[in-house]
Amino acid sequence: MLVEHPDEAAGLAIASGLRFAGYAVAVCPGPSGRGQCPLIGPAGCAPAHDADLVVCSLGYEHEVAREVLRELRTRYPSVPLLVEVPSDIDTGLRELLDGCHQLPAPASTEQIVAVVQSLSGQAAEEGPAGA
Amino acid sequence: MRSPFHSEPEAFRFLLVLVLALIPIVLAAALGPAWLALVVLGVILGALAMRMAHLRMRKLRGLELPVKMAPPHLGSAAERRVLIVANDTLSEEALLNEVERLACAPSTRVLLLAPALISPGARLTGAVDGLLDQARVRLKRALDRVGHDLVVAGEISEADPLEAIEDTFATFAPDEVIVSTRWERAAGGLEPRLAGLVRERFAVPVRHLVFEPGSAVQEPDRETEARYRQESGTVAARRFGLKALAGVGILAAVLMSMAALVQSSEREEARAASRLAAEEAAALPPVAKVVDLSVIPEYKRGPEGEKHDAFTTTEFAVRVGQPQELRIDNTDSVPHSITAPAAGVNIVVMPGTHTYTLLVKQPGTFLWFCTFICDEWAMQHPGYMSGYITAS
Repeated sequence: MLVEHPDEAAGLAIASGLRFAGYAVAVCPGPSGRGQCPLIGPAGCAPAHDADLVVCSLGYEHEVAREVLRELRTRYPSVPLLVEVPSDIDTGLRELLDGCHQLPAPASTEQIVAVVQSLSGQAAEEGPAGA
Repeated sequence: MRSPFHSEPEAFRFLLVLVLALIPIVLAAALGPAWLALVVLGVILGALAMRMAHLRMRKLRGLELPVKMAPPHLGSAAERRVLIVANDTLSEEALLNEVERLACAPSTRVLLLAPALISPGARLTGAVDGLLDQARVRLKRALDRVGHDLVVAGEISEADPLEAIEDTFATFAPDEVIVSTRWERAAGGLEPRLAGLVRERFAVPVRHLVFEPGSAVQEPDRETEARYRQESGTVAARRFGLKALAGVGILAAVLMSMAALVQSSEREEARAASRLAAEEAAALPPVAKVVDLSVIPEYKRGPEGEKHDAFTTTEFAVRVGQPQELRIDNTDSVPHSITAPAAGVNIVVMPGTHTYTLLVKQPGTFLWFCTFICDEWAMQHPGYMSGYITAS
């Protein structure tokens, strides 16, 4: 599971919850982190490519976070996205979120883990190579 | 730098690469001139250096990618696993108290990891046993002091501390990491920057605990950690630069030594060849500087009893490529010649006394004869108006 969260402590908390639920995790602060986000460029993101599911909690008031979401959807269409969504979203974000799994922000670690487990269960039922 | 013998597959891969690199060098040395082997060696070393620089840059870029990883939690949901990384601080009472406190917490397992901190020099020379023994002794003392055998275990590692921690993540899957250091790096101790590196790489909480003799445990603030990171970046860049410089120096020295060796060997071969030629020349019979002879009509009696025209000397010994002077007194009224087509010699001997040069450019024994019609019998018989030139 790839967790994208700009806050280090919150990202680690979600990662911890997912680890105790039995998942290997990768945590990325997204474009706010040190170094350029490889999704905003030609390189691509290996952790996103290898992920079974990406949990996005980047906060979508900034255009750069939306850019990351757009790139994730374009480059890795087979990787499911679970997006923590603010209550008031504009049309552009609504269109961007179309087809993504959504959770109202702020979501607790337990909520995120529960949804991830549910999505993983669905994927397992759909096929062994499911996301 | 990771040892190429870290694991069996890595050792096999290293051996394979070594053999594959040696094959073209050996082939070039066996089938071509020495400089070709040198060029192949240079190309292979250059490719190796580029590959290493590429890997290094990729590693640095990888660290720039701020993604932390962690494997799934192992054990029951209630279980908590703590990895403590320490070396010289293992003897600190404050650290041992902390381990004891963790061991007493319910459902907690503690693993003490003691990296042996083997320097590249020691790794290269194989002098690792002493360092491993030191780490082993420290760890045993700590484990004996803490007790709680069922929940506290220990491991030593000869790998780089960060790699040792990475290996431990694969086997122990800690939920928390505690890195124990001094305020500043001491000989045989872990670097304070290690905590920051672990925090950057692994998606678990990381605590950096600093233990100094006689003082309570402390945790560095953000500024101190930032300073460690900045210093480590500067030190790493300086080390990389120095290593690259040293590598280029070593490569240049190796290539220059090999070039000098090849040149010296070629010079030695040339010296040996000239020495041999001189010895061969010295072994040859001496030749006169100037040979005096005459051409005299009806000079010598033939086997049938009649007198025939003749040169007073008909056998000439010369050195290949060295001019031999002949002072010939032709007492006849017509010209004669010393002609040896196979040796490229054609000397027209005019009446009177003149000096001629006889030059033969190849070794061998060549028949010569006079081409001016005079005494026909004498022209066909060596010892009269014919003879031999021996060039050696």
